[in-house]
Amino acid sequence: MKITVSINIGGMAFHIDEDAYTELKIYLRNLDRYFAKEPSSAEIMSDIEARIADLLKAKINDSKQVVTLQDVRDVIDILGTPEDISDDSGTGYERLRTVGYHRMYRDPDNRIIAGVCSGMAAYWRIEPWVVRVIFIIISLPGGLGILIYLVLWIVLPEAKTTAQKIEMKGDPVNIHNIKDSVRQEFDNVKEKMNL
Amino acid sequence: MNVENNKAQMRKGILEYCILLVISGNSCYASDIINKLKEAKVIVVEGTLYPLLTRQKNAGLLSYRWEESSQGPPRKYYELTDQGREYLAELDKSWDELVESVKLIRKK
Repeated sequence: MKITVSINIGGMAFHIDEDAYTELKIYLRNLDRYFAKEPSSAEIMSDIEARIADLLKAKINDSKQVVTLQDVRDVIDILGTPEDISDDSGTGYERLRTVGYHRMYRDPDNRIIAGVCSGMAAYWRIEPWVVRVIFIIISLPGGLGILIYLVLWIVLPEAKTTAQKIEMKGDPVNIHNIKDSVRQEFDNVKEKMNL
Repeated sequence: MNVENNKAQMRKGILEYCILLVISGNSCYASDIINKLKEAKVIVVEGTLYPLLTRQKNAGLLSYRWEESSQGPPRKYYELTDQGREYLAELDKSWDELVESVKLIRKK
């Protein structure tokens, strides 16, 4: 048994498996970000959604009523990822910056108690034992660390889905990300100083 | 120098011309355009087409109308505007010139 989600794409309703839904959501979000530079990005996205609806509709029938992960992957192959599109059109786009969300979660895969320390470690890209040692040290005198731990346990959501696990770790560090974040930081400072 | 890269550049150069050519035949729905372009191996992924269509529409070369469809929501049908036809005529001329130039050089 699997959970399905109901979605509306291009004015058509689909039942879609949960994993397929996550994949499609990430894909659309990346495309949306890619086209954000275009003056009519909303129109482009609605045209693409209409096409996705057409392609998905061809994949379902009376004996197969639910859109699966494979269906979504087929559709993505046909339409192309932002990288494919920029290679294909070559109309002077910069290569896509897939700067994903970066959020702190509890990491259930590497947990000892509730995954608070491993989640923080994943967020900062350090070894979990470093965070654990710090917590133990600040817990020794008066138990402050334990209190902080409990609060974080309540506040931080657990990374359950694949998308959340990607968000937890952020983007892999590469030269583009570093360049982007430096540039972004520079722009922020420039804005603040009204230059 | 990389031959694949060079070939891709040539293909990209004629992409917008090809889109206008396809639409000049008769008004068509996005998937008709896609099928023709794919058949001619001018595009690899479909996503390439949509930003170009929107740009050509914003530039006044194309217009579209909504047409009811028996299989779902209404569809956009694209057609060339008068400005688009003039633009296409220019590109036609330029393409013929390019072909002639290459022919001339090849002969020697």
